[in-house]
Amino acid sequence: MTTTTSTDESELIAQLIHGDDQAFRHVIALYHSLMLNIARAIAGDIFADDIVQEAWVSVYKNIANFERRSSLKTWLLTIVSNQAKARLRKESRQVSLEQLDGEATGSYLDGANFKADGHWQQSIPQWNIESPDALLEEQQLQHCINRTLNLLPPAQKAAFILRDIEQQSFEDICSILAVSAANVRVLVHRARLTLMQVIDRYQETGSC
Amino acid sequence: MLSCKQVATIASDYLDKSTPLKWQIRLHLLMCANCRRFVRHMKITRELSKQMVLNKTADDVDTIWNKVQQRIKQDSQSD
Repeated sequence: MTTTTSTDESELIAQLIHGDDQAFRHVIALYHSLMLNIARAIAGDIFADDIVQEAWVSVYKNIANFERRSSLKTWLLTIVSNQAKARLRKESRQVSLEQLDGEATGSYLDGANFKADGHWQQSIPQWNIESPDALLEEQQLQHCINRTLNLLPPAQKAAFILRDIEQQSFEDICSILAVSAANVRVLVHRARLTLMQVIDRYQETGSC
Repeated sequence: MLSCKQVATIASDYLDKSTPLKWQIRLHLLMCANCRRFVRHMKITRELSKQMVLNKTADDVDTIWNKVQQRIKQDSQSD
Protein backbone atom coordinates (compact mmCIF):
# COMPACT_ATOMS: atom_id res chain seq x y z
CA MET A 1 0.00 0.00 0.00
CA THR A 2 1.29 3.46 -0.84
CA THR A 3 0.49 6.50 1.26
CA THR A 4 1.35 10.17 1.06
CA THR A 5 1.04 12.79 3.81
CA SER A 6 -1.45 15.62 3.30
CA THR A 7 1.39 18.17 2.85
CA ASP A 8 3.08 15.98 0.24
CA GLU A 9 -0.24 15.51 -1.48
CA SER A 10 -1.03 19.21 -1.46
CA GLU A 11 2.33 19.99 -3.07
CA LEU A 12 1.87 17.19 -5.54
CA ILE A 13 -1.55 18.49 -6.59
CA ALA A 14 -0.15 22.02 -6.98
CA GLN A 15 2.62 20.63 -9.22
CA LEU A 16 0.09 18.67 -11.28
CA ILE A 17 -2.05 21.77 -11.74
CA HIS A 18 1.04 23.63 -12.95
CA GLY A 19 1.55 20.94 -15.58
CA ASP A 20 4.68 19.44 -14.03
CA ASP A 21 5.39 16.31 -16.08
CA GLN A 22 7.61 14.80 -13.39
CA ALA A 23 4.77 15.11 -10.88
CA PHE A 24 2.46 13.38 -13.32
CA ARG A 25 4.93 10.53 -13.78
CA HIS A 26 5.21 10.26 -10.00
CA VAL A 27 1.41 9.93 -9.68
CA ILE A 28 1.40 7.29 -12.42
CA ALA A 29 4.07 5.34 -10.52
CA LEU A 30 2.02 5.60 -7.31
CA TYR A 31 -1.44 4.73 -8.56
CA HIS A 32 -1.38 3.12 -12.01
CA SER A 33 -1.32 -0.47 -10.69
CA LEU A 34 -4.19 0.16 -8.32
CA MET A 35 -6.24 1.87 -11.05
CA LEU A 36 -5.56 -1.03 -13.38
CA ASN A 37 -6.82 -3.45 -10.76
CA ILE A 38 -10.01 -1.46 -10.25
CA ALA A 39 -10.58 -1.22 -14.03
CA ARG A 40 -9.95 -4.96 -14.40
CA ALA A 41 -12.30 -5.71 -11.54
CA ILE A 42 -15.13 -3.63 -12.98
CA ALA A 43 -14.71 -4.04 -16.75
CA GLY A 44 -12.47 -7.07 -17.23
CA ASP A 45 -8.97 -7.58 -18.61
CA ILE A 46 -9.67 -6.71 -22.23
CA PHE A 47 -10.64 -3.09 -21.62
CA ALA A 48 -8.63 -2.33 -18.49
CA ASP A 49 -5.50 -0.85 -20.11
CA ASP A 50 -7.51 1.39 -22.38
CA ILE A 51 -9.79 2.52 -19.56
CA VAL A 52 -6.86 3.49 -17.34
CA GLN A 53 -5.22 5.41 -20.20
CA GLU A 54 -8.48 7.27 -20.74
CA ALA A 55 -8.60 7.93 -17.02
CA TRP A 56 -5.08 9.42 -17.04
CA VAL A 57 -6.01 11.66 -19.97
CA SER A 58 -9.06 12.78 -18.03
CA VAL A 59 -6.92 13.42 -14.94
CA TYR A 60 -4.45 15.45 -17.01
CA LYS A 61 -7.21 17.58 -18.50
CA ASN A 62 -9.23 18.04 -15.32
CA ILE A 63 -6.71 18.28 -12.51
CA ALA A 64 -7.28 22.06 -12.30
CA ASN A 65 -10.92 21.34 -11.41
CA PHE A 66 -10.03 18.92 -8.59
CA GLU A 67 -11.75 20.47 -5.57
CA ARG A 68 -9.90 18.41 -2.95
CA ARG A 69 -13.10 17.22 -1.29
CA SER A 70 -11.52 13.76 -1.25
CA SER A 71 -7.94 12.53 -1.35
CA LEU A 72 -6.16 12.49 -4.72
CA LYS A 73 -6.23 8.69 -4.60
CA THR A 74 -10.01 8.58 -4.09
CA TRP A 75 -10.49 11.11 -6.91
CA LEU A 76 -8.33 9.01 -9.25
CA LEU A 77 -10.18 5.84 -8.32
CA THR A 78 -13.55 7.54 -8.86
CA ILE A 79 -12.42 8.62 -12.34
CA VAL A 80 -11.22 5.16 -13.30
CA SER A 81 -14.36 3.59 -11.84
CA ASN A 82 -16.59 5.95 -13.85
CA GLN A 83 -14.60 5.27 -17.02
CA ALA A 84 -14.89 1.52 -16.44
CA LYS A 85 -18.65 1.69 -15.85
CA ALA A 86 -19.09 3.89 -18.94
CA ARG A 87 -17.13 1.35 -20.99
CA LEU A 88 -19.36 -1.46 -19.75
CA ARG A 89 -22.42 0.49 -20.83
CA LYS A 90 -20.83 1.20 -24.22
CA GLU A 91 -20.06 -2.47 -24.70
CA SER A 92 -23.67 -3.31 -23.76
CA ARG A 93 -22.58 -5.48 -20.91
CA GLN A 94 -23.88 -5.58 -17.38
CA VAL A 95 -23.74 -2.24 -15.60
CA SER A 96 -24.68 -2.98 -12.04
CA LEU A 97 -21.78 -4.21 -9.95
CA GLU A 98 -24.21 -6.18 -7.88
CA GLN A 99 -25.35 -8.06 -10.97
CA LEU A 100 -21.74 -9.04 -11.58
CA ASP A 101 -21.47 -10.69 -8.22
CA GLY A 102 -22.58 -14.00 -6.84
CA GLU A 103 -22.21 -16.26 -3.84
CA ALA A 104 -19.45 -18.81 -4.31
CA THR A 105 -20.65 -22.38 -4.16
CA GLY A 106 -19.43 -24.31 -1.15
CA SER A 107 -18.94 -21.08 0.79
CA TYR A 108 -18.59 -21.12 4.57
CA LEU A 109 -22.12 -19.70 4.71
CA ASP A 110 -23.56 -22.57 2.68
CA GLY A 111 -26.60 -23.93 4.52
CA ALA A 112 -25.08 -27.42 4.36
CA ASN A 113 -22.39 -26.32 6.82
CA PHE A 114 -24.98 -25.69 9.55
CA LYS A 115 -27.43 -27.82 11.51
CA ALA A 116 -31.12 -26.91 11.60
CA ASP A 117 -30.56 -24.88 14.78
CA GLY A 118 -27.84 -22.79 13.04
CA HIS A 119 -24.84 -24.39 14.76
CA TRP A 120 -21.82 -25.66 12.83
CA GLN A 121 -22.20 -29.17 11.38
CA GLN A 122 -18.48 -29.81 11.82
CA SER A 123 -15.62 -28.28 13.74
CA ILE A 124 -13.83 -25.35 12.14
CA PRO A 125 -10.47 -26.76 11.00
CA GLN A 126 -7.44 -25.76 13.03
CA TRP A 127 -4.63 -23.71 11.43
CA ASN A 128 -1.07 -24.76 12.17
CA ILE A 129 0.22 -21.34 11.18
CA GLU A 130 -1.71 -18.47 12.70
CA SER A 131 0.74 -15.60 12.33
CA PRO A 132 -0.05 -13.32 9.34
CA ASP A 133 3.70 -12.65 8.90
CA ALA A 134 4.51 -16.36 8.83
CA LEU A 135 1.66 -17.00 6.39
CA LEU A 136 2.96 -14.25 4.09
CA GLU A 137 6.29 -16.04 3.89
CA GLU A 138 4.62 -19.14 2.45
CA GLN A 139 5.20 -18.68 -1.29
CA GLN A 140 2.79 -21.40 -2.34
CA LEU A 141 0.06 -19.78 -0.24
CA GLN A 142 0.79 -16.41 -1.87
CA HIS A 143 0.35 -18.07 -5.24
CA CYS A 144 -2.96 -19.63 -4.11
CA ILE A 145 -4.23 -16.31 -2.73
CA ASN A 146 -3.27 -14.36 -5.88
CA ARG A 147 -4.89 -16.98 -8.07
CA THR A 148 -8.07 -16.90 -6.00
CA LEU A 149 -8.11 -13.10 -5.94
CA ASN A 150 -8.08 -13.12 -9.73
CA LEU A 151 -10.98 -15.59 -9.80
CA LEU A 152 -13.21 -13.56 -7.48
CA PRO A 153 -16.29 -11.98 -9.06
CA PRO A 154 -15.30 -8.45 -10.21
CA ALA A 155 -17.30 -6.54 -7.60
CA GLN A 156 -15.96 -8.67 -4.77
CA LYS A 157 -12.43 -8.27 -6.02
CA ALA A 158 -12.73 -4.50 -6.33
CA ALA A 159 -14.33 -4.11 -2.89
CA PHE A 160 -11.76 -6.41 -1.30
CA ILE A 161 -8.74 -4.70 -2.88
CA LEU A 162 -10.01 -1.28 -1.87
CA ARG A 163 -10.93 -2.24 1.68
CA ASP A 164 -8.50 -4.90 2.87
CA ILE A 165 -5.41 -4.19 0.76
CA GLU A 166 -5.68 -0.46 0.14
CA GLN A 167 -7.43 0.26 3.45
CA GLN A 168 -9.90 2.72 1.92
CA SER A 169 -12.88 3.72 4.08
CA PHE A 170 -16.26 2.12 3.41
CA GLU A 171 -17.58 5.58 2.56
CA ASP A 172 -14.93 6.04 -0.16
CA ILE A 173 -15.51 2.56 -1.54
CA CYS A 174 -19.25 3.25 -1.84
CA SER A 175 -18.43 6.34 -3.84
CA ILE A 176 -15.83 4.63 -6.07
CA LEU A 177 -17.95 1.58 -6.86
CA ALA A 178 -21.34 3.34 -6.62
CA VAL A 179 -22.83 0.65 -4.42
CA SER A 180 -24.47 0.94 -1.01
CA ALA A 181 -22.46 0.57 2.20
CA ALA A 182 -24.40 -2.60 3.03
CA ASN A 183 -23.45 -4.12 -0.32
CA VAL A 184 -19.79 -3.17 0.04
CA ARG A 185 -19.75 -4.92 3.42
CA VAL A 186 -21.31 -8.04 1.93
CA LEU A 187 -18.81 -8.06 -0.96
CA VAL A 188 -15.82 -7.68 1.36
CA HIS A 189 -17.18 -10.35 3.70
CA ARG A 190 -17.65 -12.84 0.84
CA ALA A 191 -14.12 -12.21 -0.42
CA ARG A 192 -12.69 -12.72 3.07
CA LEU A 193 -14.63 -15.98 3.42
CA THR A 194 -13.24 -17.21 0.10
CA LEU A 195 -9.67 -16.35 1.08
CA MET A 196 -10.19 -18.01 4.48
CA GLN A 197 -11.12 -21.19 2.65
CA VAL A 198 -7.96 -20.93 0.54
CA ILE A 199 -5.92 -20.68 3.75
CA ASP A 200 -7.92 -23.58 5.23
CA ARG A 201 -7.03 -25.77 2.24
CA TYR A 202 -3.41 -24.67 2.29
CA GLN A 203 -3.07 -25.43 6.01
CA GLU A 204 -4.56 -28.86 5.46
CA THR A 205 -2.89 -29.87 2.18
CA GLY A 206 0.00 -27.47 1.55
CA SER A 207 -1.48 -26.59 -1.86
CA CYS A 208 -4.36 -24.65 -3.44
CA MET B 1 -28.81 -15.99 21.52
CA LEU B 2 -27.24 -15.73 18.07
CA SER B 3 -26.63 -18.93 16.13
CA CYS B 4 -23.24 -19.86 14.67
CA LYS B 5 -24.60 -19.12 11.19
CA GLN B 6 -25.63 -15.63 12.25
CA VAL B 7 -22.21 -15.01 13.81
CA ALA B 8 -20.45 -16.27 10.66
CA THR B 9 -22.66 -14.01 8.53
CA ILE B 10 -21.79 -10.84 10.46
CA ALA B 11 -18.23 -11.70 11.51
CA SER B 12 -16.74 -9.08 9.17
CA ASP B 13 -19.02 -6.38 10.58
CA TYR B 14 -17.90 -7.42 14.07
CA LEU B 15 -14.21 -7.15 13.13
CA ASP B 16 -14.82 -3.86 11.29
CA LYS B 17 -16.67 -2.55 14.37
CA SER B 18 -19.79 -1.83 12.39
CA THR B 19 -22.45 -3.97 14.01
CA PRO B 20 -24.88 -3.06 16.78
CA LEU B 21 -24.75 -6.75 17.80
CA LYS B 22 -21.26 -6.58 19.31
CA TRP B 23 -22.32 -7.78 22.77
CA GLN B 24 -24.52 -10.58 21.45
CA ILE B 25 -21.56 -11.78 19.36
CA ARG B 26 -19.20 -11.59 22.33
CA LEU B 27 -21.63 -13.60 24.42
CA HIS B 28 -21.80 -16.24 21.69
CA LEU B 29 -18.00 -16.30 21.35
CA LEU B 30 -17.64 -16.89 25.10
CA MET B 31 -19.56 -20.10 24.71
CA CYS B 32 -18.62 -21.33 21.22
CA ALA B 33 -15.08 -22.54 20.48
CA ASN B 34 -15.86 -23.07 16.78
CA CYS B 35 -16.98 -19.49 16.29
CA ARG B 36 -14.02 -18.19 18.29
CA ARG B 37 -11.76 -20.05 15.86
CA PHE B 38 -13.78 -18.86 12.86
CA VAL B 39 -13.56 -15.20 13.92
CA ARG B 40 -9.86 -15.59 14.76
CA HIS B 41 -9.18 -17.03 11.30
CA MET B 42 -11.09 -14.19 9.67
CA LYS B 43 -9.06 -11.69 11.69
CA ILE B 44 -5.81 -13.36 10.54
CA THR B 45 -7.04 -13.27 6.92
CA ARG B 46 -7.81 -9.56 7.27
CA GLU B 47 -4.38 -8.84 8.79
CA LEU B 48 -2.65 -10.86 6.07
CA SER B 49 -4.50 -8.93 3.36
CA LYS B 50 -3.35 -5.59 4.79
CA GLN B 51 0.22 -6.62 4.05
CA MET B 52 -0.43 -8.02 0.60
CA VAL B 53 1.07 -6.17 -2.34
CA LEU B 54 -0.85 -6.07 -5.58
CA ASN B 55 0.86 -7.21 -8.75
CA LYS B 56 2.65 -4.26 -10.32
CA THR B 57 1.99 -3.30 -13.92
CA ALA B 58 4.40 -4.68 -16.49
CA ASP B 59 4.58 -1.30 -18.23
CA ASP B 60 7.07 1.22 -16.93
CA VAL B 61 6.06 4.76 -16.07
CA ASP B 62 7.68 6.24 -19.21
CA THR B 63 5.73 3.90 -21.48
CA ILE B 64 2.45 4.77 -19.79
CA TRP B 65 3.26 8.48 -19.81
CA ASN B 66 4.09 8.36 -23.54
CA LYS B 67 0.82 6.59 -24.33
CA VAL B 68 -1.12 9.16 -22.29
CA GLN B 69 0.68 12.00 -24.08
CA GLN B 70 -0.17 10.45 -27.46
CA ARG B 71 -3.84 10.23 -26.54
CA ILE B 72 -3.90 13.82 -25.32
CA LYS B 73 -2.42 14.89 -28.66
CA GLN B 74 -4.93 12.80 -30.62
CA ASP B 75 -7.79 14.24 -28.55
CA SER B 76 -6.66 17.83 -29.11
CA GLN B 77 -6.31 17.21 -32.88
CA SER B 78 -9.81 15.76 -33.11
CA ASP B 79 -11.34 18.65 -31.06
